[in-house]
Amino acid sequence: MNFEIEVNGQPHAVKVERVGSRYRIESEGRVDVVDVARVDRTTISMILDGERQSSHEATLLDRSEPGEVEVHLRAGVVHTRVAGAPGQRRWSARGAVFGGAGGPQRVTAPMPGKIVKVLVKPGDTVAARQGLVVIEAMKMENELRAARAGEVKDVHVAEGDVVEAGRLLTVIE
Amino acid sequence: MKVLIANRGEIAVRVIRACREMGIPTVAVYSDCDRASLHVRFADEAYAIGPSAPAESYLRIDKLIDVARRSGADAVHPGYGFLAENANFARACADAGLTFIGPSPDAMERMGSKTGARRVAIDAAVPVVPGTVEPLGPSVSDAEIARLAASIGYPVFVKAVAGGGGKGMRLVTAPEDLASAIRAARSEAGSSFGDPHIYIERQLQFPRHIEIQLLADHHGTVVPFVERECSIQRRHQKVLEESPSVAVTPEIRAALASAACAVARAVGYTNAGTIEFLLDREGQFYFLEMNTRLQVEHPITELVSGVDLVHWQLKIAQGEPLTLSREIALHPRGHAIECRIYAEDPDHGFMPSPGRMLGRRVPGGPGIRRDDGGATPGLDVPIFYDPLIAKLSAWGGDRPQAIMRMARALGEYEVRGIKTSIPFFRWLLDDEDFREGRFDTTFLDRELARRNGKPFVTVPDEAEHVALLAAAIHAYEEATSGTAATGAGKAPARGWALKGRLDGLR
Repeated sequence: MNFEIEVNGQPHAVKVERVGSRYRIESEGRVDVVDVARVDRTTISMILDGERQSSHEATLLDRSEPGEVEVHLRAGVVHTRVAGAPGQRRWSARGAVFGGAGGPQRVTAPMPGKIVKVLVKPGDTVAARQGLVVIEAMKMENELRAARAGEVKDVHVAEGDVVEAGRLLTVIE
Repeated sequence: MKVLIANRGEIAVRVIRACREMGIPTVAVYSDCDRASLHVRFADEAYAIGPSAPAESYLRIDKLIDVARRSGADAVHPGYGFLAENANFARACADAGLTFIGPSPDAMERMGSKTGARRVAIDAAVPVVPGTVEPLGPSVSDAEIARLAASIGYPVFVKAVAGGGGKGMRLVTAPEDLASAIRAARSEAGSSFGDPHIYIERQLQFPRHIEIQLLADHHGTVVPFVERECSIQRRHQKVLEESPSVAVTPEIRAALASAACAVARAVGYTNAGTIEFLLDREGQFYFLEMNTRLQVEHPITELVSGVDLVHWQLKIAQGEPLTLSREIALHPRGHAIECRIYAEDPDHGFMPSPGRMLGRRVPGGPGIRRDDGGATPGLDVPIFYDPLIAKLSAWGGDRPQAIMRMARALGEYEVRGIKTSIPFFRWLLDDEDFREGRFDTTFLDRELARRNGKPFVTVPDEAEHVALLAAAIHAYEEATSGTAATGAGKAPARGWALKGRLDGLR
């Protein structure tokens, strides 16, 4: 069976075959034979065949986008996406405050909380790292700042608003 | 005795466990968002006390007293935080005929004012950090305060008399910055504590934070314990504590212990309390303040002494005499370290990371103690309270062994769904200066500034490859679902995915 799987945004062509509890997985010239035992509903134990049989535990959590799976390993979390599932979109821009180059900055609430200060209004020009909105959660105030310089297009919240995580706060162009 | 626990989270669970061990019935209280929390599930009885905001539930003295009446509880354990150091609450309990498991309201009040506590220490011949003795009210002029500051010597802290937790506190390195610091400290003190009085204290250079836990009964016995070191702080907040301290010799320990006892006796202190000191490089120590409650970091004292502090809190409150051996309390058996696990994202400036815990793998094995009832899988970590979700403690025969065990346990520890400070602690436990015991209270902020945002979580290339294999196996099982030899291959329901919440929290 063939899949295209993205790991942290990098696509890989993968061929998978199963024999009993073992999987033969071929990707870009590398072949792994993996013994798999299921630990619980979300966690598998993997032993990679080879001179040294390295042992790994992985917990796989589906995300809201079809095909997106978070793989939790001892070393950390790796974001993967299996291509080809219907109705699928690319990874959305995450953590817009810290976001990449180009396009408008959509500053979203990184956590549920209460808006204690709105420091900008539409039409303001802001410098990179300038504070935009102060959000309070868990007894702490957190200032959300602009990733890059730009002009404030919209402000979607007011002081005193209680917001969910992911709520759009302001857009900078 | 029947105990109402006026708190939530891991400390409520800790107190319930002690009560159950001693056969004492327990009463929990909960706010709206805590209905399914572990302390509610563990208690014998549980009562709702209102909306999630602390001011409408856990801080409502009237509601807590009412629950005590309804449930027939005759004692109240305040835990730490919330009303634990509120003399009005202790007094309200007494007025309602309830035993408050802590000191008398008078002792609490005298130690609650920073200048009052300094006065107590001075009168007990215990050295205090050089500074002003009398509180400085709004009528004291800037010029007068400038004269006082100059005589104390810069750099100085301007601190709120009613302060705590770094609030109402300003560092001034040069005289020209003093006036604005006074204004800021007064206004913060007024809005946070309703008391604009301030005082001036010299900033010690490279101090270590050393504290003495003590227990005191109602019969005049005071027992001090081996010191805890809490110098590993981020922005004046403790994040890791250990006992004993590498900087404390047996001679310093004896002097600290008798100073702590002198302060406690001076106010007729009863139950559990902690006296905090600063220790300079010359081995000279200075009284800082007293915490009139059980502290977050009490488990490390329990690990090196073998004494259950909460058991003694309950026994002392019932009038039992303290029969502990001073020898045991003051002679550490091995070494213990505690890490405070917060729902915070260390890779984004330690921003709070509330949300649903999807799962976790907990560490265990030799020398490991977990107090992790602050949050459980499947439930939300609420936005309303302190982000401490668990405490991980390690005991070893000596400091290197305790560090080895802690580092190993942190490697086993995995919390999914929310970000935690676990990756930060993995880095800290590996730091050479930490391992060598070379630090003071300014160490961590300096090190973090030096890292300049370098991520704590770095996934090696090999792990990415393993993730690819895991994703491939998952995709295969999904595609052939029902036939997979390894069983039901489906990851959890979509409902667990919590879209928006996780999206923002990368």
